[in-house]
Amino acid sequence: MDPIILGIAVVNGVIVGGLYGAIALGLSLIFGVMRVINFAHGSFLMLGLFIPFWLWKLFGVNPYLAAVVAAPALFGIGYLIQATIIAPLFKRERAMVLEPLSVLLLTAGVGIMLDNLALMTVGPDFRGITMEFAAKALWIGTVLNINYTRLIAFLVSLAITVAMSLFLARTDLGRAIRSTAQNRDAAALCGINVPRVYNITFGLGCAILGIVGCVMIPFYLVSPAVGLAFGIRSFIVVVLGGIGSIPGSILGGLILGVVESVTAQFVTATSASIFSFVIFILVLFFRPTGLMGMKV
Amino acid sequence: MTTQTRSHRALRYAVPAVVLVLFLLVPTLVRGEYYLHVLVGVMFFAYMASAWNIVCGYTGQLSLGHSALCGIGGYLSTLLFINLGLTPWVGMFIGAFCAMVVGVFVGYPCFRLRGPYFALTTIAFAEILRIWVENTEEILGIELRGAQGLSVPLKGHSPGLFQFDGKVAYYYIIIGMLLAVMAVTFWMERSRIGFYLKAIRGDQDAAEALGINSTRYLLSAMALSSFLTALGGSFYAQYFRYINPERNMGLDLSIEFALMGIVGGQGTVLGPVLGAFLLTPAGEISRATLGGKFPGLHLVIYGLVLVLAVLFLPKGLIQPIRQFLGRGAAGRAGGKSAAA
Repeated sequence: MDPIILGIAVVNGVIVGGLYGAIALGLSLIFGVMRVINFAHGSFLMLGLFIPFWLWKLFGVNPYLAAVVAAPALFGIGYLIQATIIAPLFKRERAMVLEPLSVLLLTAGVGIMLDNLALMTVGPDFRGITMEFAAKALWIGTVLNINYTRLIAFLVSLAITVAMSLFLARTDLGRAIRSTAQNRDAAALCGINVPRVYNITFGLGCAILGIVGCVMIPFYLVSPAVGLAFGIRSFIVVVLGGIGSIPGSILGGLILGVVESVTAQFVTATSASIFSFVIFILVLFFRPTGLMGMKV
Repeated sequence: MTTQTRSHRALRYAVPAVVLVLFLLVPTLVRGEYYLHVLVGVMFFAYMASAWNIVCGYTGQLSLGHSALCGIGGYLSTLLFINLGLTPWVGMFIGAFCAMVVGVFVGYPCFRLRGPYFALTTIAFAEILRIWVENTEEILGIELRGAQGLSVPLKGHSPGLFQFDGKVAYYYIIIGMLLAVMAVTFWMERSRIGFYLKAIRGDQDAAEALGINSTRYLLSAMALSSFLTALGGSFYAQYFRYINPERNMGLDLSIEFALMGIVGGQGTVLGPVLGAFLLTPAGEISRATLGGKFPGLHLVIYGLVLVLAVLFLPKGLIQPIRQFLGRGAAGRAGGKSAAA
């Protein structure tokens, strides 16, 4: 195997991996704070990809600018879904600890509905946008080149991660979220409005997907089917990196990205996903808390 | 009061018997291949949801990989038929046996995981199998034809080879299979293994503290469920005379089995049947009437039903029905004794 080709594969894997990490960030956050396994995460990303696409298609809006619309829109959708559909489940359980399977099924149902509503309204075709500088790339040396749009996506993913870490560490709301994650009863005793924190956390997890969708759409084709694929990928990343951990999410994303990219050099791309699943299963059996995660 | 209980008990046996006779008479009463086709689909999903229920309903774990077992059954019986001319009547049992082995092997490490992790792992295993089959043209000289799938060689009307003209024979076969799986579930529920499983479902750690070997009973349930699911997979292959990884091993199929079992009522004999009877016609009708214009509508309906079921009927559709029947008997008996 030519080391240069391998090197390019690794670099591409890292670029894509950063993106995966950002996508999985929301999932990790939602579980860390609310113990909710959000099976609809991929479907929200699909929404986050469609919004900038349609804004570009109908109004010619630059996808990077569309983030101004997509992020709040997805925040709102996430907030609403948590407040109206998931919250009643919390009220039913007394100690605010959910029976995990009920929530899993609920979010799975929401995800199925979102995926297929999209399928019903826009059809199964893959769609993409065209941008002037999409074909241009940054050259390092003579062989290594990174597509500008992917590079931007990678940098934005890192920025999101850093911003999220700072937000959680420094702001009052971030502290409220962290304390709710640690002990919801104690947080309630301290005067934190726990249901509101839940709604905001869910909204934030989805808002991230809005931003990520905007930076992905320049080089990624969207269709209603991508929801399921990314949903599964997000779970692999979160399990790899450790649930509830932000740096873990990025690390898991990087590992998955590189594994996918390198194995795709040896086998077909679809077969390569078998390796991702195998790693997923191995991690679950031997180190279920992931590389950097907290205990479930 | 004794007369009341006796007639009530007679009613409990009479109603299902009448329903059963009606279903058996359907092919004579209803003309129209399409309706029979829908009914075969309903019975098939009722069967599969019940088989799924044997392990998942009674253990409280959520397996979303059962379609892989269905696919193993279908593929093995078809491959044996294509390559060795072995009649699917025998092939399906060989396939079921292999699926049972796979189920136990995969189940053994999986049952150590709890809740959502178990579900995710079953998805992973099923997807691995599906992707592998999808990308494999042939193995050891045997043609698998990857994503194209396999066609069952058409031999016309040959009961000995599990092929029939028209749908009537298939209808009766699947009803027979459904009754068999319901009987197995009924027997298992009331046997020792049923009690142990319910204990494990309630609280696995407490059950183990009482000395119940949870692994053994979980794996027994898994073996039974895998065996039955694979038999259903072979039926599916013979009914449609075509199998491919996407349809027979896909995640969508797994979700449908689980969905019907959950919406109908996990851990009961009638629950999954009820779930299938409700959802399959809804799906079929929406697919037939609006499916062309709105692909995926039936799945939106399924998703909506799932959300509503989790929020309002967590124990499944069977819960209000049971309450109605139970309250009916108690109310009457109580009223009578109060009047007396």
